[in-house]
Amino acid sequence: MVKVVKTRVEFEGRFRDEYTVVEGEPLEGWSPKSGLKIVGRPHPRVDGAAKVTGSAKYTHDVYLPGMVYGKFLRSPYAHAKITHIDASEAEGLPGVLGVYTYKNAATLGFGGAEKVFKQEVTYQGDVVALVLAQDESVAEDALELIRVEYEPLRPLVDPEEIMGLDSSKDRIVGPKLYERGDLEKGFAEADVIVEESFKTQAALHNCMETHGSVAHWEGDNLVVHTSTQSVFNVRSALSEELGIPQSKIRVVSEFMGGGFGSKFGAGEYTVVAAAAARLLGRPVRIVLDRVEENLATGNRSQTVQWVKIGAKRDGRITAIHLKGLVNVGEDGWVADLGGPAKMMYHCPNVKVELYGVKTNLVSSTAFRAPGYVEGDFALESAVDELARRLNMDPLELRLLNYATRDPVTNSEYSSKALREAYLKGAELIGWRSEPRVVRDGAKIRAKGVAGAIWWGGGGPPAYAEVKVNADGGVTVLTATQDIGTGTRTALAQIAAEELGLPFSSVRVVLGDTITELRSPGSGGSQTLASMGPAVRAAAHDAKNQLLEIASQVYDVAKERLTIREGSIFRSDGSVLCSVGELLGNLGDFSVTGRGAREPNQEGYMVNTFAAQFAEVEVDTETGTLRVLRLVSVHDSGMVVNPLTFTSQVEGGVIMGMGYALWEGRLVDGESGVVINPNLNDYLVARCSDVGEITPTYVEPEDPHTNSLGVKGIGEPPIIGVAPAIANALREAIGVRLRELPFTPERVYSAIKGINPRPTTAKYL
Amino acid sequence: MFVIPDRFSYTVAHSVEEAVELLHTLEDSKVLAGGQSLIPFMKLGYASPKSLVDINRIPNLDYLDDSGESLKIGALTRISRLCDSELVAKDYPLIHDAALQIADPLVRNLGTFGGNVCHADMGDDLPAVCLAMNAEMVASGPSGQRVLAAKDFFVDRFTTLLASDELLTEVRIPKNRRGCGGAYLKLERRVGDYAIVGVAAQLEVDGDGVCRSVGIGLTSASTKPIKASEAESWLVGKSLSDEVLDKASTLAMNTSNPLSDIRGPAEYKKAMVKVLTHRALKLAYKRARGGL
Repeated sequence: MVKVVKTRVEFEGRFRDEYTVVEGEPLEGWSPKSGLKIVGRPHPRVDGAAKVTGSAKYTHDVYLPGMVYGKFLRSPYAHAKITHIDASEAEGLPGVLGVYTYKNAATLGFGGAEKVFKQEVTYQGDVVALVLAQDESVAEDALELIRVEYEPLRPLVDPEEIMGLDSSKDRIVGPKLYERGDLEKGFAEADVIVEESFKTQAALHNCMETHGSVAHWEGDNLVVHTSTQSVFNVRSALSEELGIPQSKIRVVSEFMGGGFGSKFGAGEYTVVAAAAARLLGRPVRIVLDRVEENLATGNRSQTVQWVKIGAKRDGRITAIHLKGLVNVGEDGWVADLGGPAKMMYHCPNVKVELYGVKTNLVSSTAFRAPGYVEGDFALESAVDELARRLNMDPLELRLLNYATRDPVTNSEYSSKALREAYLKGAELIGWRSEPRVVRDGAKIRAKGVAGAIWWGGGGPPAYAEVKVNADGGVTVLTATQDIGTGTRTALAQIAAEELGLPFSSVRVVLGDTITELRSPGSGGSQTLASMGPAVRAAAHDAKNQLLEIASQVYDVAKERLTIREGSIFRSDGSVLCSVGELLGNLGDFSVTGRGAREPNQEGYMVNTFAAQFAEVEVDTETGTLRVLRLVSVHDSGMVVNPLTFTSQVEGGVIMGMGYALWEGRLVDGESGVVINPNLNDYLVARCSDVGEITPTYVEPEDPHTNSLGVKGIGEPPIIGVAPAIANALREAIGVRLRELPFTPERVYSAIKGINPRPTTAKYL
Repeated sequence: MFVIPDRFSYTVAHSVEEAVELLHTLEDSKVLAGGQSLIPFMKLGYASPKSLVDINRIPNLDYLDDSGESLKIGALTRISRLCDSELVAKDYPLIHDAALQIADPLVRNLGTFGGNVCHADMGDDLPAVCLAMNAEMVASGPSGQRVLAAKDFFVDRFTTLLASDELLTEVRIPKNRRGCGGAYLKLERRVGDYAIVGVAAQLEVDGDGVCRSVGIGLTSASTKPIKASEAESWLVGKSLSDEVLDKASTLAMNTSNPLSDIRGPAEYKKAMVKVLTHRALKLAYKRARGGL
């Protein structure tokens, strides 16, 4: 029986209502105590061999016969007007099939062409022209032959400067306000008040696979291979831009080399490739190079934050005030820096004021726990200062102000084991058993802690099918994406567990809209908590059908049959038949189970939590900072696969270390030009930079989140890394660093009390 | 935004003579050895040579030979070979330290000693090593072979004494003796990056710990690889107390003239030359004494 249910769904802290169509009865929830045999065990990735041998096919691997290469000419200026553009020489180069600028972009035949090709370019890397050519090197040569004259305009890239300009009020978005309780009263009650300001830098995603699409047409049907976190978002954007029905568009992202929030929809490279392919009647490939990737696909926002916290002498926090500026670039969104300030602590009086500031940089975009990474650095650094002022252990202060209900809605949590996580982490890092600071000549080692909160409860709509084939093999069909997180493996485990069939017999097909199985985008740490239950429900349906068929074929009551390890057993423990035999004898019949993610339960706040402890070593003569150890303890509900859990945490922690120590977009404050848009100058961590990481978890039972009891793990690991390191560094050198990243020179200057001379290169 | 190099011709040389002949006759030619600097330069458009002469197939240019008066290093010797060599690890710790800190394993597997030296970037590590060790550079050209002192070899950033039709074939390092010790210290933002600054120190001390000779080479401390000559002269004949090392480090710092760039402001880099010189000399001294 089909039932339509309206339910509340959260995505990165924003709520919306969704309708979902469910069939069948709700399943009994799984928990770590359910005695599961496949879920909860470490299974190597089902696609690991394909990836390491190179047979996994990513968008970058798609080369089609007769394919045309598209390359963009991008603005070298952060702000300029094109006064003259002449593409005739480029058009005349042998092998060039077309050159498009703002003058003739409309002939490409898609809706937003004038938004892609503009006469006034507003950030470095903005699209000026497109070349279509028969090979890549001809396309590059042609780019150099396009004559462009620019009239440079004054770029504005620094939000603090813009806030002070009367002429730039239209660049300010907001304030976005949140308030609870009475802030003034809260500070009046406080015995101790700390006020701190912080700056965080723009970070670049640097996905291993750059943004790109390959488009081709089969008659009037469009097929697009693209590196994306949401095949459905890409499809709906293409439908709108090209003016063709969604049912005529197939979007494929079988293997995907990372997104981190930057690949949630169709890029101009996608739409332009599809439009150009229609025009030329040939496949078109547009894949960005690393510099384009780092100039034109978005970033984590640069922020400036002021935090004020009041507390009673015993440590109880009475008021938190956060004011923040968010550099949103050309037209990005104001990420919620206030998340941690609102949600981390039991504090009655809180105010958050956020201002977005538009600048002549590329629009900011989502990046792994957007806003929370930046906000947690400020909040958790300030809380650490508060502990110092109160002469309290920073861990004790956090436990004292622990929120047992969601402070924003006063709802119960579906589960929360952050306290257990703190205690487990403290034990592992030796918080109480070892000295917090150790000196060794010029080097000092010290420890710090930070907490983290995030979302990741998932929800509908998410649909799956599970087919049990005539030979007993299983195909799981969804249209979700595996963006490198291990989704394929986890879904295979869930299907095998529910069906009672071997893990090795399950194949997962995903990343293709042709299945028409609606799946959410792979972001917000929601994939497993959304798709997992849908796959389980589909597997349950398939199992029911198998048992029904067996019951009729063998004339045994269905209730007396179970499936284990590929065979159907009678209640006395004897084997009735194997699943393959059963279906093979029915003329190679295959069973199709259908499943939907069940609605979210009302009244519960689903959050994920982490306690992160860092041990750092500082060379006080050079300012070099090394993270020797990072213990990351997570409450993400039940863990489906400890191996992919570990990968997620290691990846997130390393990315967090990069944010704390190395990564940052450097922009020339005068020209607005990005100084380090490549992997030589923009420093992403390498293996030897990374110390020991201890990923672990506490597994609360969570009957209120979904039928698996799982919550997300994609984003939580990055959130508290920078503040944990900042707090350890403070402990080591006795000085608080308030600006990320902690470069050797900044650490050195802080130790020596040197005020660095201002330079035109800024972390913006 | 450009990743494909401009057009160029490519020729394989099978002998030193052939390479020299090709360099002499081909227009605007460059030597391709490990390619770890040249190829990125070409891809980024920083260099657009019209012709490449590939010397990788010249036999007998990849060797470490200490049978004679000096340690002879063939120009095609891969950096990874220096990392793996027991001889280098035991007798030439300065070279070993530096080799292990060059870029990453992939680069070290292909990159060559000769290439690192001839590229002569201020941020390359082996030029400072050659300067500290008073190495001799052996070059072949149309008019025969000549031997150049390292201290004269590095003319400017990306510029050496080599003529465009000369090929570096060998680097000669004074042979390790009792009382010799060296060390290379490199400050980097992140593993595999070019140095913020690097210091190569090579010492010879007598039985009383008095400095008989010393070489100090600096990486990223000027627009080209430089030698800290004043510090060197000041150290000779002195016992290496902390005060002496401190004074020498200050002299090295004063010799340095680093650029402010993405790796840090000049003042910071100068301060780091001092810290690293002190530490490198101390470690070199310890190794020299350990070898007595």
